[in-house]
Amino acid sequence: MTEHVAVDRCITCGDVAVPMHVIDVDRVRGLALCSDAQGEHASVEVALVEPVSPGEVLLVHAGTALCREAL
Amino acid sequence: MRFVDEFRDAELGRSLAGEIMASVESERHYKIMEVCGGHTHSIYKYGIDDLLPPNVELVHGPGCPVCVIPMGRVDDGISLAREPGVIFTCFGDMLRVPGSQQTLLDAKAEGADVRIVYSPLDALRIAKQNPEREVVFFAIGFETTAPSTALTVRRAKAESVSNFSVMCSHVTIVPPLRALLESPDLRLDGFIGPGHVATIVGARPFQFLPQQYGKPVAISGFEPLDLLQSVLMVLRQLAAGRAEVENQYARVVPWEGNLRALEVMSEVFALRPHFEWRGLGFISQSALRLADEYSEWDAEQRFPVPGVRVADPKACQCGEVLKGVIKPWECKVFGTACTPERAIGTCMVSPEGACAAYYNYGRFAREREVV
Repeated sequence: MTEHVAVDRCITCGDVAVPMHVIDVDRVRGLALCSDAQGEHASVEVALVEPVSPGEVLLVHAGTALCREAL
Repeated sequence: MRFVDEFRDAELGRSLAGEIMASVESERHYKIMEVCGGHTHSIYKYGIDDLLPPNVELVHGPGCPVCVIPMGRVDDGISLAREPGVIFTCFGDMLRVPGSQQTLLDAKAEGADVRIVYSPLDALRIAKQNPEREVVFFAIGFETTAPSTALTVRRAKAESVSNFSVMCSHVTIVPPLRALLESPDLRLDGFIGPGHVATIVGARPFQFLPQQYGKPVAISGFEPLDLLQSVLMVLRQLAAGRAEVENQYARVVPWEGNLRALEVMSEVFALRPHFEWRGLGFISQSALRLADEYSEWDAEQRFPVPGVRVADPKACQCGEVLKGVIKPWECKVFGTACTPERAIGTCMVSPEGACAAYYNYGRFAREREVV
C-alpha cells in the first residue's frame, strides 16, 4: 500500500501552529469554535489563553490555542 | 490574509536578501542551523536558500518530532496497538514511520484498530464514545505539543475517564541542542530558534546558546520574510561579534513563555532520566513521562511494553541528516530506495523531515543546477 505524503506542512506534530479566528466560546467546557483561513471549523481548547472572545486570532496547535497573535 | 500576506511580500523579500548579501564577508563560510522541522519545510517550500549568498549555508536540525522517534519506540506503539480491545490513536505522520518489522499502517492493515487524530482531545473523545474499549494516545512532539497532551490528561482525570491512557513520547528541545554542540563533527555559527516551541517555553531557555557556547540565536517565525529577517539578525550579530538571543517572532513569543502551559506541563509530566533519540543516541533528561499522580493514565504502566532498543538500518543516514552533518541528497538511499511513498528513514516520512521537504521541493532546484 502506498500513500502520498501531504506536501504542505505537517499539522499534526512538530513546531507548526495555525492562526484561527474565534467564532464562539463555550466557557463551561473551556472550548472555542474557531475557523482557519480556509474556513475549516474546529473546536479548540483555550485553557492556556483564557479568557477569549469572538473575533480574536489564536495560534492553534494540535487542537490547543498556544497564544494570541498580535502585530 | 492577515498574518500571512504581510510576511510573503516579494519586494520586501528581495530587499532583505540584499541586506543579507551586504552583511556577509565573502571569504567566510557561515553555517546556521534551523532547529525546527517547520522551518526546514518553509525554507524548501519558498526557496529561501536560493535567496542566500552561496557562503551562507542553512543546516537542518533535529526539530521534527516524528524524525527523532527511534525504531524501538515505534515497535512499542505497534505492540500496544495489537493489544486486544485497544483503539490506538496517533497523529497521521506516525502511521508510516518504520519500526523494526513494520509500521503502524501495516498493523492497521492486519486488523489492529489504529486511528488518526488531530488532537489528543480527539483521542479522549473516542474514549468517551467507546467506554468498553481501551483508548491509547501515542503522544509525540516537543514543548509545542506537550501542553495539549497535558491538558487532555488533566481533563481525563477531572472527568474520570478511566479507559484512556497516553504513551508519552514527548521530548524537549534544549538537551539535543546541547548534544549537537558537544558533537565534534559539527561546526555551527548560529541558530534559527524554534518559534512555536518558544511560544510555550519563551525565548529565555535559549540563552545558554550565546552564554555557554557563544552562538547567536534568532527565534523565528515561519513565513518567508520571518526566515530571511532571522538569517539577517544572526549574520549581523556575527558581523558585530555579538552573541545573544534575539526574538524575531515577538508577535507571538514572549520572553518568559506561556506560564499557564508551563504550569500544567510541570503538574502532569516528569522528566525521564534518559531517552533515545534517533541519530543522537540516549540524551539525559530530554523527554517526558506522566507524573506519578497521573500514572493511572500512563499506557506504559497499564500495558506490557517491549521497550527493546533497535538499531537503525545500516543504509539509513537519518542520524547524520538530523545532526546536520550531511545534506539529505548525500544519503546513499535518498530518492531511490527511500522515498516519501516508501520511507526507510524517519526524515523522509514527515513533511517536516529534512529529506521529505527536500524531496518535495528542493530536488527540483538541484536538478536545475546539475543541468
